[in-house]
Amino acid sequence: MARNPSTYRSGLWLDWCPGCGNFGIITAVYKAFAELDLDPSKTVVVGGIGCSGKTPHFINVNGVHSLHGRAIPFATGIKLANPELTVVVNGGDGDILGIGMGHFIALGRRNVDITVIMHDNGVYGLTKGQAAPTLKRGIKTKALSKPNIQDAINPIAIALSAGYTFVARGYSLNIDHLKELIKQAISHKGASFIDVLQPCVVYNNIYTREFYSERIYVLDEEGGWDPEVKSDSVDEMMQKIDQAWRRSLEWGDKIPIGIFYKNSSYSTFEERLSVEIPTYLEKPPAKQVIATAEGRPIFTTDAFREFFSKYIIQTKNSRG
Amino acid sequence: MNEDELILMIGGPQGSGLETTAQILTSSLAYSGYGVISDREYYSNITGRHSYIHMNVSPHRIPLDLTYPVQLLGAMDAETIFTHYDDLDKGGFMIYDKGVSGRKLDSIVSMPPITKDRIRKKLEEIGIDKDAGSLVNYLVRDRDITAVELDFRSYLRDISDKFGIVSTQATRYTSSILVGALAGLIDIEGDAIEYGLRRRFGSREKLIKHNIYLIEKVSKEVNEEYGTPMKLPPSKLELGELLVASGNDIVAMAKVVAGLRYQSYYPITPAADESFFLETYNNFGDKGSILIIQTEDELAAINSAIGAALAGARSATATSGPGFSLMVEGLGWAGINEVPIVITYYQRGGPATGLPTRGAQSDLMYSLFASHGEFARIVLTSGDHIEAFYDAIEAFNLAEKYQVPVIHLLDKFLANSIVTMDIPDLSSVKIDRGEIVDGGPGYKRFDLSKTISPRAFIGSNAVMWYTGSEHDEYGHTNEDPIFTARMYEKRMEKLEIMDKEIPLDLRARYYGDENPDYLLIGWGFVKNTCLKAIEKLEGNGLKGGYLHLRMFMPFPANYVEEMLGKMDMNRVIVVEHDYMVQSALAISLFTGIRVKNSIVKYNGRPIYVHELTEAIEKVLSGEANRVVLTYGA
Repeated sequence: MARNPSTYRSGLWLDWCPGCGNFGIITAVYKAFAELDLDPSKTVVVGGIGCSGKTPHFINVNGVHSLHGRAIPFATGIKLANPELTVVVNGGDGDILGIGMGHFIALGRRNVDITVIMHDNGVYGLTKGQAAPTLKRGIKTKALSKPNIQDAINPIAIALSAGYTFVARGYSLNIDHLKELIKQAISHKGASFIDVLQPCVVYNNIYTREFYSERIYVLDEEGGWDPEVKSDSVDEMMQKIDQAWRRSLEWGDKIPIGIFYKNSSYSTFEERLSVEIPTYLEKPPAKQVIATAEGRPIFTTDAFREFFSKYIIQTKNSRG
Repeated sequence: MNEDELILMIGGPQGSGLETTAQILTSSLAYSGYGVISDREYYSNITGRHSYIHMNVSPHRIPLDLTYPVQLLGAMDAETIFTHYDDLDKGGFMIYDKGVSGRKLDSIVSMPPITKDRIRKKLEEIGIDKDAGSLVNYLVRDRDITAVELDFRSYLRDISDKFGIVSTQATRYTSSILVGALAGLIDIEGDAIEYGLRRRFGSREKLIKHNIYLIEKVSKEVNEEYGTPMKLPPSKLELGELLVASGNDIVAMAKVVAGLRYQSYYPITPAADESFFLETYNNFGDKGSILIIQTEDELAAINSAIGAALAGARSATATSGPGFSLMVEGLGWAGINEVPIVITYYQRGGPATGLPTRGAQSDLMYSLFASHGEFARIVLTSGDHIEAFYDAIEAFNLAEKYQVPVIHLLDKFLANSIVTMDIPDLSSVKIDRGEIVDGGPGYKRFDLSKTISPRAFIGSNAVMWYTGSEHDEYGHTNEDPIFTARMYEKRMEKLEIMDKEIPLDLRARYYGDENPDYLLIGWGFVKNTCLKAIEKLEGNGLKGGYLHLRMFMPFPANYVEEMLGKMDMNRVIVVEHDYMVQSALAISLFTGIRVKNSIVKYNGRPIYVHELTEAIEKVLSGEANRVVLTYGA
């Protein structure tokens, strides 16, 4: 049976506000999953907490609605235990860059083959509109009593510094473009990150649909933009990171979307584990048999004795 | 000597090779057939602060308890002499460096001022106000101690000249001078010492050669001058082989046997050594492998372990109090989602950083109720290395069978003490993964037709959902008032099922006379100290019993009620490493019976047999119903 976007609808009512950017994001996810023909039983969407955290329930693949800020560790455990699974994280900017920042960095360092889709609306919507980490200083969205006095985080720059090997930005209302980014991110081997700009129609009266539609431009549509590292030369990698970083600073009249950086030759965590444990990919933790048919441990007393021989002492008595 | 057993101590600055010395001595003595426990006490410090090894060596049993006084004290520095002189038994031996005899108490910068003041007062009472040498002279004069004064510097110079070792490097051999002296006094044979060295240093032949030379030289000289006054009788233990392991080691070994396949951790004392061990022993070829991952924090440790469990791996994390505090939100998520994970929890002194390298049992209540909300969990504790081995395996079986998080509650005392023990017998060990299914269309992860729903793994032939929110049978968020109550009950009813099904032996054990004159109650590492104290008091005509609590959730309420029903409550005493006597609180909570007598210790040091026996007598005589123990350095 061919899979189409509706295959991936769980059938649950999407309880987001009318006009919410999440609708665009989930539509792009349905389409991307369909075009990649992902097997629902081998795919996992891990959400954090908040409006975006509910995403797993709306998709007909395995879904884990985890804890605030902890979607990445849940995803990491799932992926490392069974690397054949396709693992996608959906979380808000507060979830991923606020309470979960440490994990966001750690995923980049490890370069585990996981895709992070960050729903970036600048506010904590579900708790009534507090400032989130991507809200610029000086901005007063409508629920704030005073303008924000904390500087905003630059998600693209952080992802580049952390070591993500696929870094992109999409816009929730440019669904087909976002769909392509999601497809590429999932197909990319390594940690991929998509910062998805989205309006919060209820609480963010500054970064609105109008705000974005006047400013957004697509990087790829510019002649000469090449985000991809094509060799293992460190110079090339630095040059690509440098140009991506410069573009990430653009936030004024023009806001770029598209792929900022891509490096397919960098080692993934799974590859690094395979060096240490050569059987890792074929026999990952979740796929090993850990007991005999009789329900006994794989280790017999003799095998135990042999494996831990360094800790066993043959006493003098036994040697006669 | 104490019932033919030898209590010895070696002290010195942290980082001077004491841990290595303990390993070598333990191996050498085990090779000679003796039973050994070796406890390590230390500060949170890499180099310089006082640490010591406290050993009990027995020719007729495998000791798991510690006591004072010591018969042999090996001092690497003056601080050890000042700190431990009072621990030495009449007629005992003090081995020390001639070079430190001129050191005055005030000049010891590594000793905390409060400790210094306390010791200064004690010294004033016995009229000592000078240096370490005068203290040793006092011990010789007034306490029948034999001073084995050795010139450390000349030995180090000798080895430096003989093998061309630069003098700064030669100091690394200081601990071997003590080993040599001990070997001489105890009469540990050369082959045993060589065996211990080889086990520790493997194929580092030069190191072994230098050490053997030094140890033999010192041993011979000490032997010639003092004889073998501490010679141990030949071992009566008829053990062909022994396992020598710390608590951290033995739990790690058990996890390998149990089929652990994913362990995440963040470094913390005294838990990290377990994961360190597993990193070395994680690949067993065709038998499988374990993925050990050092995460960015304990939040990631528990939550990635949960993720791995959802995918079907036997999964665990190991931590201590501060790390567990960070794990609590994840624990609740595992609870509401019925995820089988094991948290190996090595208690240390708290709260906050507390006593980071010292032991405690003050996290019992915390482990029972940590997390907001209610859910079924298992809290299993172990009294010694042998129990900890089998319990660590059973923790996984219980977690998967009942689909609950299991907290295996241990402590620093177990974690850091090295003991000799029998090789575990795996012939009766079982692996029970509970009811696992492949899913299929329409699979309901939280199927209400059974309290314990058949579990499919993420990645099997099913699609399933999990959420930290209250949920329906598929795992989707649900807040229907009637259904919510039903799903809530499904989770909580497991407590009753576990209470009915889990064998008593895993939950409580009784040791001692059928009709005891008094009953001690304890859990965790106090077990063997209580048993030894009871044995000692038998000499005074007192028949004691020991109720060893092992599982606190679900609590073996009926059994405890029955046991206490037979007792005069004036003669029941809880022994515990905390202030609040939390196991007495648990007994009261689950049975309604109040145990009013307690012997507690909360200074981070182990409870010792000698102080426990005194305290028991005090309570039984009616002199006190609460005794606070403080012995130790």
